[in-house]
Amino acid sequence: MKERALTIVSIIAALALFVGAPQIVNAYWLGVALQLLSGIALTQSWVAFSGLTGYVSLGHAVFYGAGAYVMALLWQSAALWEILVASGFTAAALALLIGYPALRVRGPYFVILTLGLSELCKYVVIAIEAALESSGRLLFDTPDPVFLYYIMLLLAVLATLLTWGLARSRWGAGLRAIREDETAASTVGVPVTFLKIMAFVLSAFIPGVVGAVWVLRTTFFEPMQLFSPTTSFTIVTMAVIGGSDGAPGPIFGAAFIVILSELLWARAPQFYLVLLGILLISFVLFIPRGIYGQLTALAQRRRA
Amino acid sequence: MSFLRVENLTCRFGGIVALQDISFSMEKGEILGLMGANGAGKTTLLSLIAGNVAPSAGHILLEGERIDGRSPHRVNGLGVARTFQIVRPFAGMTVLGNVMIGALYGRGRTMSLRHARTQCLEILDEVGLADRRDLPAAALTLAGRKRLEVARALATQPRLLLLDEVLAGLNASEANDALDLIRRLRETRMLSIIIIEHVMKALMRLSHRILVLHDGKKIMDGEPAEVASDPRVIAAYLGEHAHV
Ligand SMILES: Nc1ncnc2c1ncn2[C@@H]1O[C@H](COP(=O)(O)OP(=O)(O)O)[C@@H](O)[C@H]1O
Ligand SMILES: [Mg+2]
Repeated sequence: MKERALTIVSIIAALALFVGAPQIVNAYWLGVALQLLSGIALTQSWVAFSGLTGYVSLGHAVFYGAGAYVMALLWQSAALWEILVASGFTAAALALLIGYPALRVRGPYFVILTLGLSELCKYVVIAIEAALESSGRLLFDTPDPVFLYYIMLLLAVLATLLTWGLARSRWGAGLRAIREDETAASTVGVPVTFLKIMAFVLSAFIPGVVGAVWVLRTTFFEPMQLFSPTTSFTIVTMAVIGGSDGAPGPIFGAAFIVILSELLWARAPQFYLVLLGILLISFVLFIPRGIYGQLTALAQRRRA
Repeated sequence: MSFLRVENLTCRFGGIVALQDISFSMEKGEILGLMGANGAGKTTLLSLIAGNVAPSAGHILLEGERIDGRSPHRVNGLGVARTFQIVRPFAGMTVLGNVMIGALYGRGRTMSLRHARTQCLEILDEVGLADRRDLPAAALTLAGRKRLEVARALATQPRLLLLDEVLAGLNASEANDALDLIRRLRETRMLSIIIIEHVMKALMRLSHRILVLHDGKKIMDGEPAEVASDPRVIAAYLGEHAHV
């Protein structure tokens, strides 16, 4: 009971802090907060599918990139909200297209296939842009950064609620059963293919919108950058480090990585990437439940 | 119309013919024992009926409706549930969590987690796992995992229950309790049951009829007494010297 109250109080405090941030901090730190919120939104979405089903997607950058591309194409020809929604639906439709063949294979094959398909999409966009003789698209009259910050805050909250709700729902239970043993799951009635594809589609929507917001923020669309697999790697790292079996993990993971990159990126960029690699491997090997999973396990042990 | 009807069922794995031209039928409420040496094709027959493996030829009809070639979750939705000889628990979930998947997605699927929980607590009580409901499934002994298989299958509210060597690893008194449980389940839930068991005495006592497989072929089916005295069964069972 006490723990529950503490959780609620800290959630309200964190929300208040994020809502008030634009009034409190300077532009630089607002940028850091934006990174954090986007990390949370992306990682929550990833966990909603990959964390619960165990199908590790290394292709979520494609949804982010697709959303950004839709924004770059439609900006100033439709209302902001309409384009944001269109970005989300485009990403979701792409997930349906990719998910159908990709979700037939498991384990390392699925990982490689998602990475491959997302790279393929990247080069398709590059080819289209080359055929249109466009070398990057500049976006003019983009919204105020503080406004974009609030959209990102909304996305982070929505993604968190989504994963939180999914993880404790009937659907989430079915996804976890798939993660544990897909054959056994289908034998007791779980429609495995349908649940997997729907979760994949759901987990693509918010990343699409996040990509659209980012391209408004950077005001420049360049496929190599917005479809970069680095985005996928970062999402997976955040999920693995924070914990990927529910909504709290991604918050810890995103905070950890954003803070680490603030401390190290500017000062020792090479060292940062090496450290990231080492951390990822150590967590996979020694703390597979992530920071949050480890904390709850410790708390349970102390109570027992 | 028979409750379950299997017609000319054949199953090949590459070059191996695991089942060849099997036909039989069973009535509602019947307990059918499956007998046969290791590798005879008993597990494969259950996999075909449950939809885990598609037959190479032949049909399976449940109350006149074809179920062969359908995916396992659809077959389960029509009321067929199986246990796995080599147990397949959802190892990372609790015992209760395992059983709840059956209640949430099986034939009797409920959309409410709370409702599923109540149903599953009763089932765990029935199979004797109530005290271990919050343990991770991975922490159960083999005998416990076999019971979990049964509980998870029951939670789907089947009409036909396929049991694959669920008594293995139990001591004599545990095995007796399990047999009582199976009889009770048949009565209270009006189940039809196909059961594979190596303990011959148990199988003879429990089953209304027994089907004998040997090297993927059906030798015979009949009442337990008939089967026990059949020269073909004795020959297949007594092994080499009967083969001349
Ligand atoms: N998935 C499979 N792939 C290849 N061969 C298999 C497979 N499953 C079963 N078999 C083979 O089919 C035959 C029957 O096996 P099984 O049904 O498990 O026998 P039983 O349950 O009577 O011991 C065996 O020869 C076995 O090796
Ligand atoms: Mg077997």
